[in-house]
Amino acid sequence: MSSVLSVDDIRACMDGAIPAAVATCAPDGTPNVSLVSQVFYVDGAHVALSYQFFNKTRQNVLSTLRATALAIDPQTIARYRLALDYVRTEVDGPLFERMKAHLAGIASHTGMAGVFKLQGADVYRVRAIDPVPCVTLPEPAGRRNLLAAVRGVAQRVGGSTDLAHLFDETLFALEANLGIRHAMLLMADPPRERVYTVATRGYATSGVGSEIAFGAGVIGVAARERTPIRIMHATNEWGYGRAIRASAADDGFSDVIAKEIPLPGLPDSRSQLAVPLIAGDALVGVLFVEDVADRRFGYDDEDALLAIAGLLGPAIRGLQACADDADDAPGQRPRQPSVLGPPLKLRHYVADDSIFVGDDYLIKGVAGAILWKLVGDYARAGRTDFTNRELRLDPQIRLPDLFDNLEARLILLQRRLAERSDAVRIEKTGRGRFRLCVHRPMELQEISAGARQSGG
Amino acid sequence: MANAPETPLLDAEHVAFVESGVSILAASRAVDDAPSVARSHGCRVSADRRKVTIFVARGQAGTLLDDVSRCGALAVVFSYPPTHRTIQLKSENARVRPPAPGETDHVAAYIEAFTSGVSPFGYEPRQMATLFAFTEGDLVAIDFVPESAFVQTPGPKAGAPMPPPAP
Repeated sequence: MSSVLSVDDIRACMDGAIPAAVATCAPDGTPNVSLVSQVFYVDGAHVALSYQFFNKTRQNVLSTLRATALAIDPQTIARYRLALDYVRTEVDGPLFERMKAHLAGIASHTGMAGVFKLQGADVYRVRAIDPVPCVTLPEPAGRRNLLAAVRGVAQRVGGSTDLAHLFDETLFALEANLGIRHAMLLMADPPRERVYTVATRGYATSGVGSEIAFGAGVIGVAARERTPIRIMHATNEWGYGRAIRASAADDGFSDVIAKEIPLPGLPDSRSQLAVPLIAGDALVGVLFVEDVADRRFGYDDEDALLAIAGLLGPAIRGLQACADDADDAPGQRPRQPSVLGPPLKLRHYVADDSIFVGDDYLIKGVAGAILWKLVGDYARAGRTDFTNRELRLDPQIRLPDLFDNLEARLILLQRRLAERSDAVRIEKTGRGRFRLCVHRPMELQEISAGARQSGG
Repeated sequence: MANAPETPLLDAEHVAFVESGVSILAASRAVDDAPSVARSHGCRVSADRRKVTIFVARGQAGTLLDDVSRCGALAVVFSYPPTHRTIQLKSENARVRPPAPGETDHVAAYIEAFTSGVSPFGYEPRQMATLFAFTEGDLVAIDFVPESAFVQTPGPKAGAPMPPPAP
């Protein structure tokens, strides 16, 4: 008995490297054949073809509901005939967005940017897959064992005891086990429909604190649709650098002052993959990886990253949930740092809780409100030791009701301060406890919501 | 069955295009109108530009040759990967025959032209040699007179009838 192939067995054919042929027949039987840039994997029993133009193939399929595709594995040159039955067309949602991103990469790679435009994802049930009897090449040697790599990452994720450690261990493990040298972790801020960067690895600047709007670029679409978004070739259409500049302009601030932390990224990135981190039914964040090589991340890499994301989302949620449970063990006695030198000028804009150190933008939003509370308490009463719990109860900080990500925001603030100022620091002193360390006198200035900001 | 047009649908430039190192795929229909599809190993056009011949490896053709032999229906798409220029020819009078002496050489020249055309895009000669590998006795020819021709270069005009050749 011959084994029956499923779509999972021939996924390598579906990364768009060599166009597939699709044959159809008109209602009168007249055959038609066209080349398609994309036969897209949907699941073990379904594929999708990109609907870009209402051409003869599509007319025929909508009439007869059947097609035959000839697909090629770009590595082994194995070929397969797929008997397809049309099921439906999707014009938005996760599958549509995955195909749109993929197609944008193919279009740029093949000089068809601006011509290839996805109108819909035509979903087909695969009735049969027949291998074409033909000569093939051996599978490329030296492929990474992704299951072993995922196991290695899982051990590090599972062994993390606090959130900052989890972030850094995850990115370290991606490099150590999967050879992924450029990666970032972003946390979701659902009320603001944004993700913000909390940890990165492999970039010239960390970019911690940078933000991306849901729906903008590879990362933003992965967040909005809660689906992996993968591109295999450089494309301007999906350049996330541009996306973040666009979102900065949308804020209406860009004409006044730069209040965006630049998103880190490879200037010559050619392969990108963003996977959503989900816990229960909530979006926790996005894990993003990239590479300068074309076609670096395939379907199997996407599986590996999704498996890691499946552990990471709940792990982040779990460590956040227990981060407030301050242990009773007293923190170390503060070593009083010497407070010397010229005063450090901190400005707080009430309108968006943005904070500037001197003339340099530091942070805004919830993290900005937290810092303003800390330095205010320090200036008024000399306080240096704080707990997560009191921040959560402070009405000035305006944490979202659900999933406030307080611990992640503290990590972000701590890292941003470490990068931008040597005079103010935040140190963890125990679970749910931390300390503000100030090395210079401070001069605080609050700018009310109505005041016009200046570039100063 | 549509009738063959009085004048050839292809002009000299079309002939040069379909005989060059373009990607060639052919389709027909089974008894139950299921589409069949196979890759072709090259094309040549008669001196009067009326008759087109494509070459196919029987072992890889699936049901295409049976379908063509039974019903004569054939659609052939020619596409040049670097520019995406694409045309499609259709006929209801296709006939399968063994290759004539010398036609195997034509196939070898086609494979060489195709391979050099796609090599700048990262496709290695050994991959293309694998794609077009066939045993000599396996090769068959399909003759047809195109009854309709269409432009299929990707874009909003894809599918439009090909303009008639200049007189």
